[in-house]
This record gives sequence, C-alpha cells and structure tokens, in this order.
Amino acid sequence: MSAIITVENLGKKYRIRHQKQDSYATLRDTIVQGAKNIFSANRTAKQTEEEFWALKNVSFEINQGDRIGIIGRNGAGKSTLLKILSRVVYPTEGRIMLEGKIASLLEVGTGFHPELSGRENIYLNGVILGMTRKEIEKKFDEIVAFSEIDKFLDMPVKRYSSGMFVRLAFSVAVHMEPDILIVDEVLAVGDAQFQKKSAAKMESISKDEGRTILFVSHNMKAMVNLCPKSIYLESGTIKNIGVTESIVNEYLLHTDSK
Amino acid sequence: MVPKRIIIESGKETSAYWRDLWSYRELLYYLTLRDILIRYKQTFLGIAWSAFRPLLTIFVFTIVFGRIAHLPDNGIPYSIMVCCAILPWQFFSNALTDASNSLVNNSEILTKVYFPRMIFPISAISISLVDFAISFGILCLLMLFYGFVPAWTIVALPLFLAIAFATSLGAGFLISALNVRFRDFKFIVPFLLQLGLFISPVGYNSNTGSSLVPERWKVFYYLNPMAGVIDGFRWSVIGGSRAPLYLPGIYMSLTVSLLILLLGISFFRKVEKDFVDII
Repeated sequence: MSAIITVENLGKKYRIRHQKQDSYATLRDTIVQGAKNIFSANRTAKQTEEEFWALKNVSFEINQGDRIGIIGRNGAGKSTLLKILSRVVYPTEGRIMLEGKIASLLEVGTGFHPELSGRENIYLNGVILGMTRKEIEKKFDEIVAFSEIDKFLDMPVKRYSSGMFVRLAFSVAVHMEPDILIVDEVLAVGDAQFQKKSAAKMESISKDEGRTILFVSHNMKAMVNLCPKSIYLESGTIKNIGVTESIVNEYLLHTDSK
Repeated sequence: MVPKRIIIESGKETSAYWRDLWSYRELLYYLTLRDILIRYKQTFLGIAWSAFRPLLTIFVFTIVFGRIAHLPDNGIPYSIMVCCAILPWQFFSNALTDASNSLVNNSEILTKVYFPRMIFPISAISISLVDFAISFGILCLLMLFYGFVPAWTIVALPLFLAIAFATSLGAGFLISALNVRFRDFKFIVPFLLQLGLFISPVGYNSNTGSSLVPERWKVFYYLNPMAGVIDGFRWSVIGGSRAPLYLPGIYMSLTVSLLILLLGISFFRKVEKDFVDII
C-alpha cells in the first residue's frame, strides 16, 4: 500500500517574546525599536526573544484508509501537527506530501454566521470546508436529517440552542467526502445519543468508504475504539508509534508517574 | 480521478497557487453573498439601504459643492457631474476599507481552514462591485430624470472601472496583509481616504475652464490613480467636449495602479504564510 501522507523531518518554530506587554507589535513600536537599534548597539531588555519548537524532527507515513490517533499531553504539539497538515500553519522545517483531497475539522462550525439561517449556513460552512455547491446540494437532505434540526432550518442560527448549533455544524462536517480527514476533538458534541451517532458515523466514513482519518482526542476510550494505530507525541517529538491500546497504556502510565 | 498531490515544503512556494485560487471560486461567491446578506439584517429598510446610501451621498455633494460652493458645471446637471465621480470614488473607498479589514475580521476562519488567503480581500472588493452596480443604476435614473444623453465614449467606462478595481485590489492586498501585523492601518486607512477625497476630482472637474490643477503639479496630481479614474469616468459619461481627458494623466494613473497591483500581490504572497502565526 502506498503512503497517502508522508511527513519528513517536520519542525515548527515559534518565537516567544518576554517582558512585552503588547499582545501585538504596533507600528510605533517597530519604528521606535528600529530607531533605537540604529543609535544604540546594545539591545534593550524589552526585546528578549526565546525560540520555541512546537514540533521538531517529526517523520511518519500514513497509508490509505488508516485511522490514526494522535496522543499527547497539552502542548505536546498535536494541534500544531494537525494545523500544518491542514495547511493552516506553515512549517519552519521539513516537508509533507499529501496525495488527495484533504479536509480538516479543527473546530466545529468554522465560519458559521449567527445572523444567517441554518440552510444558508450549511452552504457557507460546506464551501469553507472545501465542498462544492453540487456536493452540498446532493447531501443537503442527509445533512439535515442527521442533524435533526429540520424544523428550524430557516431560523437564524443565533436563535438556536447550543446543542442544535453543534449538531448542525457537525453534520455538515461529517458529510464531506475528502480522501484525508483531519479531526481535532470534535466528537464531544451534543448529548450522549448524538455522540454515539457521530462516533458511528466517523467509523463508517473510514471503514466503509476507505478514507484516511487523523484523530486527536483526550478521550482514550474513543481513541481505542476508532483508531487501530496511534502516534504518541511528547514535547514536539514522536515518542512512539504503534497499536493504540499499548500507546494509550504507555501514555497513561507516563502521566501517572509524573 | 487521479488524486492531486500536494507538497508543502518549508521555505518553498506552495505549488499551483493560482489554480487553487480558481478552484475556490465558489467559496468567493458564498463569502460575498454572506456579507451582502448580513449587512442589512435587522434593519427596517433592509436591502433598500444599498440604494439609499449612494443617493444620500450624491444629494449631499450636490448641495455642498453645487449650490453652496457654486463650482462650475459647464451646463451639465451638477448631480450627474458629481455622480460620475462619486461612483468610482465610493467603490474605491468602500473596497479599500473592507478589504483592509477582511483578514482580521475573518481571523476565525483563517486560523482553522486552508484556502488561498487572497479570497478574503477579493471577496470584500466584490461586494463593493455589487454596490457599484446599484449606484450605477441610480446614475442611469438621474440621466433619465434630466433627459441627459450620455456620450458615445461611455463604452470606455469598463476600462476605467478596471483601473479602479486593480488599484483597490493591489492596495487591498497590501494593507490587509499589513493590518494583520499592524492594526494601526485600521486608523490610517480612513484618514488616507478622507485626504484622497479632496485630492481627487470628486467635487470639481480637474480639466475644465480655468483648470483647477496647475500644469506643473499635474505630474504629482495623477500619481493618485483615482484622479485618472474619475477623470475617465467623467469623460466617458459626459463626453470629451465638456469633460476633456488629460491623456498623460490617464497613462500615469494606469501605470501607478498596475504598480500597486503588482506590489500588493507580491507582498501578500510573501507574508501570507505567517498570517496565522501573528494574527
């Protein structure tokens, strides 16, 4: 089987500024600092910067139809990895090869607009996630049926309950047909019944339709159920790759011992 | 269908950027539609506002410049003369304002999903284009009302609209990208546009009678691409006899607008990758 995702030596560096109160640089600061740097050789304390590698030397391959879990503590680099694979964040080092259409669910309801109706939002959210209008039209009834909000379809989304909102958003997302689906902790939406339904849907997307799924969650049970294989990330590097059960055990042991 | 391959490599250009941009045209359509739909939500007058806004501006200009300041009108209904200038100016001003804020306003989408980021400023400018079409309808009504027959040169109008489009696109790319890092541009842009309104021939005609712009200043005057565009609009609608065209000025404006466009595109492409990290 050929690899659908190839990641070689991936790294992402961030700069952390210290002793700086502004959250973003203003034009004035840049000009003032620039002027200061011209006149004085010694840099001010205000400027100290630290490099931080959110990911470093990450390499792996994923085959067509695999369901891969990504496990790690907060700040281990899971989200950064998914963001780079989704092409949202640009890597500092290394390279990635993706064979096929990729769709990412880093959040439920990206681009939903509160003033628009459910119907309008299905189209808007669909095209934002990378579907074509024809695909959305074809899937429209299915999306509505899955979300169970058919009565409120023409009501502005701002009047929805939060449960209705996430159900609709999730329904649009799982009805995409990408070759690679990247999912970041979005399974935990809706009530218990809807969660069960969405987990089943995710599984059928992968098992029956042969799509590749990358999945990040802190819910270890969902992880074991959905993903046969997992990647264990720790402080930006890969600690282990293997069968999910053993990775989960290793992760839990490691967390407990700390 | 053979799945297309995407290669992301640090320090290298993303392959097939322009093809990507084209393949996201439906997104452009829906983003534009979204902004048009939401703009007048929960207003009493609704979509009628899009006609009222330009109408009010034309009214104010006609009163202030035509009736109070008594600027020369060469026997042309003053509202038509002003309208020819307000149309492209409003287009440019709205386009630039919306485009400048387009990336920051859509940061939620920007940080979650990939698509060519140029979609945002382009979508903002498309909305202004829709507004322009509505305002153009008002100009047509005004001409009907005054029984004014436009000159044959009106066929050249799309050309000048294209220059205005290119200028707002270039400046929009440039400022929206700068705005991601320096929010100062949120305040700089309205100021520049206010200044621009006075240095562009909106309330007056730059080439008639006692020419308002001295010959030796013309070189600088037409560095402002909108000066050429507005002259061109007037010339197209009113005709060369009553609104002569200063050709060197048009060439100058055209050149500057193309330069802005190229600068905007190359700058945007250069910094686009870092938007998510700094927005």
